[in-house]
Amino acid sequence: MLKGTDRGASTNVSGEFELIIPDDQLASAVLAFSFIGYETQEIALGVNSVLNVKMAASVNQLDQVVVVGYSAKKARFLSSSVTTISNDKLRDVTSNELPNLLQGKAPGVVVSSSSGDPTSPATVVIRGSGSISAGTAPLYVVDGNIDGSYNPVDVESVTVLKDVAATGLYGSRASNGVIIVNTKMGAPGKTTISFNNSVGFANATTGKFRLMNSRELFDFQKTFYDRDPSVTNINTNWWDEAFRTAMVNNHNVSVSGGTGKTTFYVSGNFYKEQGTIVQNDKTGYSLRTNLQSQLTKRLSAKVLFNGQYIRDNYFTSNALGDAYINLPFDPAYDAEGKPTDGRSFPNWLGRDRENFLHSIQYNHAGANSLRITNDINLDFDLTDKITLSSYNRVNFGNGSSQSYNDRRTKQGGANGGELRNATSYNHRLLTSNRIRYAEEWGSHNLTLLGVAEAETAYGKATATSGKGLPPGRDVMSVATEPLEAPTGSYDQVGFRKYLGQADYSFDNRYFLVGSFVNEFSSLFGKNNSTANFYQLGASWVLSNELFLKNNPFVTFAKLRVSHGTVGNAAIPNFASLGLYTISQTASYANLPGAAPSQKGNPDLTWEKNRSTNVGIDVSLWNRVDVTVDVYTKQADDLLYQKPLAATTGYSYVWINAGSLRNKGVEFSIVSQNLKGEFEWETNFNMAFNRNKILSLSDGAEFFNPGDRLPLAAGHDMGDYHLPIWAGVNPDNGDPQWEKVVKAADGTITKELTNTYNQAQTAVSRQYAGKSATPNFTGGITNTLRYKGITLSAFLNFVSGNWIYHDARAYFDNDGLYESYNSMVLVNGWSRWTQPGDIATHPKPIVGGNKDSNQSSSRYLEDGSYLRLRNIRLGYDIPTTLMNKIGFAGANIFVSADNLVTWTRFSGTDPEVSLSREGGNFGFAGYRYPISKKLMFGLNFSL
Amino acid sequence: MARSSNLINMKSRPYQYLLAGLVFALGTFSCETYYEPSTSINEETALKNAADVETATIGTYAVLLQAAYVRSVHFLMEYPGDAVAQGQSSADDLTRAYRYTHINTSGHCANFWGQAYKVIAAANKIIAFVPDDAPADLAQLKGENLYLRAMMHFNLVRVFGRPYPQNNGGNPGVPLLLDGLTDEQTTTLARSTVKQVYESVIADLVKAAGLMSVEKTNSFASKEVAYALLSRVYLYMEDNANAVKYADLVIGSGRYSLLTGSEYPGYFKQVPAENKETIFAIRHTKVQDRGFSSIGSMYFSGDRSGNALGQGASGWAEIYASQKYVDFLDKNPGDLRHSFITPYLLGGVLQRNPKLNPTTPMYYINKYSLQEEIINLSSPVYLRLAEMYLIRAEANAKLGKTAEALADVNLLRQRAGLSGNALHTTAGLAAAGKSVLDAVLDERYLELAFEGHRAYDLFRNNRAMERNYPGTHSLNNTPTTNVTQKVLPTDPRVIFFIPQAEVDRNSKLEQNP
Repeated sequence: MLKGTDRGASTNVSGEFELIIPDDQLASAVLAFSFIGYETQEIALGVNSVLNVKMAASVNQLDQVVVVGYSAKKARFLSSSVTTISNDKLRDVTSNELPNLLQGKAPGVVVSSSSGDPTSPATVVIRGSGSISAGTAPLYVVDGNIDGSYNPVDVESVTVLKDVAATGLYGSRASNGVIIVNTKMGAPGKTTISFNNSVGFANATTGKFRLMNSRELFDFQKTFYDRDPSVTNINTNWWDEAFRTAMVNNHNVSVSGGTGKTTFYVSGNFYKEQGTIVQNDKTGYSLRTNLQSQLTKRLSAKVLFNGQYIRDNYFTSNALGDAYINLPFDPAYDAEGKPTDGRSFPNWLGRDRENFLHSIQYNHAGANSLRITNDINLDFDLTDKITLSSYNRVNFGNGSSQSYNDRRTKQGGANGGELRNATSYNHRLLTSNRIRYAEEWGSHNLTLLGVAEAETAYGKATATSGKGLPPGRDVMSVATEPLEAPTGSYDQVGFRKYLGQADYSFDNRYFLVGSFVNEFSSLFGKNNSTANFYQLGASWVLSNELFLKNNPFVTFAKLRVSHGTVGNAAIPNFASLGLYTISQTASYANLPGAAPSQKGNPDLTWEKNRSTNVGIDVSLWNRVDVTVDVYTKQADDLLYQKPLAATTGYSYVWINAGSLRNKGVEFSIVSQNLKGEFEWETNFNMAFNRNKILSLSDGAEFFNPGDRLPLAAGHDMGDYHLPIWAGVNPDNGDPQWEKVVKAADGTITKELTNTYNQAQTAVSRQYAGKSATPNFTGGITNTLRYKGITLSAFLNFVSGNWIYHDARAYFDNDGLYESYNSMVLVNGWSRWTQPGDIATHPKPIVGGNKDSNQSSSRYLEDGSYLRLRNIRLGYDIPTTLMNKIGFAGANIFVSADNLVTWTRFSGTDPEVSLSREGGNFGFAGYRYPISKKLMFGLNFSL
Repeated sequence: MARSSNLINMKSRPYQYLLAGLVFALGTFSCETYYEPSTSINEETALKNAADVETATIGTYAVLLQAAYVRSVHFLMEYPGDAVAQGQSSADDLTRAYRYTHINTSGHCANFWGQAYKVIAAANKIIAFVPDDAPADLAQLKGENLYLRAMMHFNLVRVFGRPYPQNNGGNPGVPLLLDGLTDEQTTTLARSTVKQVYESVIADLVKAAGLMSVEKTNSFASKEVAYALLSRVYLYMEDNANAVKYADLVIGSGRYSLLTGSEYPGYFKQVPAENKETIFAIRHTKVQDRGFSSIGSMYFSGDRSGNALGQGASGWAEIYASQKYVDFLDKNPGDLRHSFITPYLLGGVLQRNPKLNPTTPMYYINKYSLQEEIINLSSPVYLRLAEMYLIRAEANAKLGKTAEALADVNLLRQRAGLSGNALHTTAGLAAAGKSVLDAVLDERYLELAFEGHRAYDLFRNNRAMERNYPGTHSLNNTPTTNVTQKVLPTDPRVIFFIPQAEVDRNSKLEQNP
């Protein structure tokens, strides 16, 4: 646009445009450039013959086009609660796993990594765990189709769908929310070649945690255990022996561009992250090619290819456990500087007679995997109003793993060397065929969509093992005998889905969307294998109404409502069948057998989730975007793997077991605090979720009653129910618990007991008033920009959750294991030493003080934390400078992850699993803490 | 996809409808297929005919074979004895079995209880399916399952119910899981009395013996296996006449013979089928070595030739033959039963585990190691001929048949390479101030050591367990250098707590005090 006139021009795909400016205005002309998703820029034409226009991405997210379900829409017209995270916001933290990058960035998306191992990704829970035994992981949709592989460097944007109007279209697998990943496509115009490189270092975070050194341990143990004082001549820091400063490398080259009809994006990536524990690393190579072409006037095609090769090396030989509990009295190296062998070293004092440093000279374990995703997506404009689409995908996965214990080591010694090999293969075939009809009349817009989708997934795996291998030989052919019987299996599941959706809007003010899904899954029994789901959504853009139009304060306002159902089918294959296993676990004396292995439940059916969401999006002064959502999600017919009394002959049965509700509030604020030469942007999000089990089937009071986290109506599924620790008896240093006594008349009194069995009964176990579920979670990012310099700081926080610090049973156990190391008591803890002491820790006694380390509220600790997840300083080297040496642009940065964590937790890392899935909810064993990383980066483009 | 087409108000040509239809047909093609598991079969097809019964019976033994049964039951039955000494405290719940410091959340009790009832439940399916008048081969299989059910109930009642002679079996036993119960009944079973459980065990064994007519290897149940267990059950009930009767039936069957000479020291390294003395053993094949998680790993650490090495070489090696046992064995240096102990020597010097004060001598036990030259592999023996002689001897001793009792004891002593003064005589016993029963129990201590008998032998005979040797039981004392532990047969802890998780799931289960 020529400013002050109505004269303007549009660019073609290459960005060229023609605009005739009257000569008299030439000198004073100001051109205004605008583009969807970018900020409007004004440039005085002056006497310049060349204008360099670089569009800055618009902060206003409302105009971002968001892929929701099977459609793409501008955020301002959505009826759903979604959060979109663009590539630049995503990739501040250094990781090759998307979940790690999502943490703290979207309200209601709770990410927790229970390990700093680069080969194990974090878990994601959206809006609270909606299920008790079935999966709670969200569904990933990559480039328009369910599942698929991708590499974080190629991700253009991630959209988190949280409410049912959006997620419901994905049917049975969407009850835990949907994460939509879109990879980058080329843009027509000049070909861009980009190089992104970062290199850095990582160290384990250790928090307040510290193990005793020789002197400290000796002084502690001498109060209860007789040791020769000469043991303190050796002071091995096993933690330091196991952990190291690790290297992280990330290098990426991408080429993108295209002509008018065809665009391309080709990207290659090398990622290598060493774990902070010796031997552990992950290396990834990936290649993506995205092609898009307008084949004919009506037919366009996308061909997408992603190949990834990943090599994981695991730490072996119990290095992590030994780091925590090996005794500092035992030497890591002998006089010649070689690692000692605990088995034969004279007078080794540690219980497990194990020095991982000796073993890891020879042992190794790892896995290789290859994943390929190929998509062919066709869109055919049958008429101006009807589009037919066919999206087709094949995924292939191949994996192999090996674990080798050399005969010279403790782990492989008994069998003269051990080797385990496993291979796996899987594929997934998916076709999704869609018809879309769009009609406009006057201010009315109507889009109808029909989808038919079929999918099948097949997997098989085999494993073999051998023993009796010559030293240093790690291939199966040199094994002299089998170690375990070989195993192998295959299985397959199928899905089929029909869906219809109607999307109507009037005058960009009123929006209605409704959909219906019919789905079949082979996971369920023949009687209950299909299910129907529906979704409704509505929104009202208030700011397009007369009373708000052109309001300088409220520049945008929208009210959203949605309601609908989805299902959850995330249970193991064949869960409803009564089964006899015919695997070799049912064989005896070399004869094949069949043994009962699973109790059947022919009535098993889908878990049904009914959700309602009310949200509001408001923009103030075009600078502050506020989004608030209130929701409730209720799951009925909960899928539950119910533990059974042993006298049934089975361990469990899958049942539909009652109902559960999550409700919550979440909000995000994106604020342009300062604009202009000096920019300051704040991005803040926070979510409060409350979880409650509403009822259990058969009116049961508890499911899994003896568990620390049983299920009970009226309670959060994270509520701890266990023997209650009552501190230390000041008179004698005994541990004490609460014993509940029920008199014949029903009156209940509490007594103190030093007998654990009396506290560990159905009557005595109580709710601790503490939950593994956080009260709230969130993140805040501040970004400052000045003349090409960008400084951003991102904090994430989790508050109100309690951790069961189980590993203290091993390194904080009042003398039970004199041959393990102990942790140094943290501030505020104290040890009973003499009558009258008011202490937190009982008198230490060799062999243990009356089961003081058994499961009780003693080891519950506040898991709240605030973490400086990332801080990053970047500088865009001025383009003029770069152009002279032939570059289009360059950026250098320094980035640090997890530099500081504020927490009261006594262990190395308060970040524990916040999901019931995996059985580690709120549980801290021997933690592999996450890494502090310091990264240096250089990005440039040609 | 007629429905989708209906949604669309197309004003276009027919071929376009066709194209639309084709595209959508792709979506519905080859779906709605059900798949079958590859490593399991549907229970509806698992028990249909005679061949299935055979396969499923193998399955019942396979349930028995799992570590949750084999390993945990061994710890619960043997570690309370005085032939073993734990030289260092352990992260494993097995320490509590040794030290009598039980808790109701014991992992090994939960394992054993759970797996034993799984064996019974698997057996019940076959017991219910095969009629009593089935042909001989099917009747045999039914008998085997009845035997396994009886064996499980008997082991359960010994671990969780008080010795039979106390209150004449009137104390709480364990739930009796019989065939034909409804789901509701199996989840709400109360504990039967010890006596009721014994009666059911006897009924099952008698019926099993009647049904079984096929002579199988000692990895499987057969008529004599049922007789052998009946003999033991009657002995525990102090029905001495029946104990003798069934011991006689086994001994007289001619199927078994005592290993003698050079064969005897290698008893536990043999594959069960090659062992003429074993009546019933739980067969472990070469690929069922449990390594550091085996029974043998707790007792022994060494090489494939059987030489002792330091802890951690092949096993934890933290449970040793007690000083008390070794001293008793040493009374006759020529006793071949020394073969089952491998002292850990360095430069000819016996090593001691230094973790406790006083330190524990490291007498490794090798009864659970080195089958087929695999260090941690063994097929634990449940019944063997020597026990039949000892049962007969004990029952005869109690019946006053001194000569018969001593003859059987001396038979075993001779087999162990003893002769002359080392053999018992009435006069010799009188001079030593010992009864005939003492002699029998002493012989059981020597012969059946580490096989899970000792604690029962003492407590059912109303005798105390006296541990006066180094071991972690001393950690119960103050000061911990005092190694004496005396457990009376009336002590509540001679039996274990019912797993609390089971009590929580079934409110009818009454916990032990």
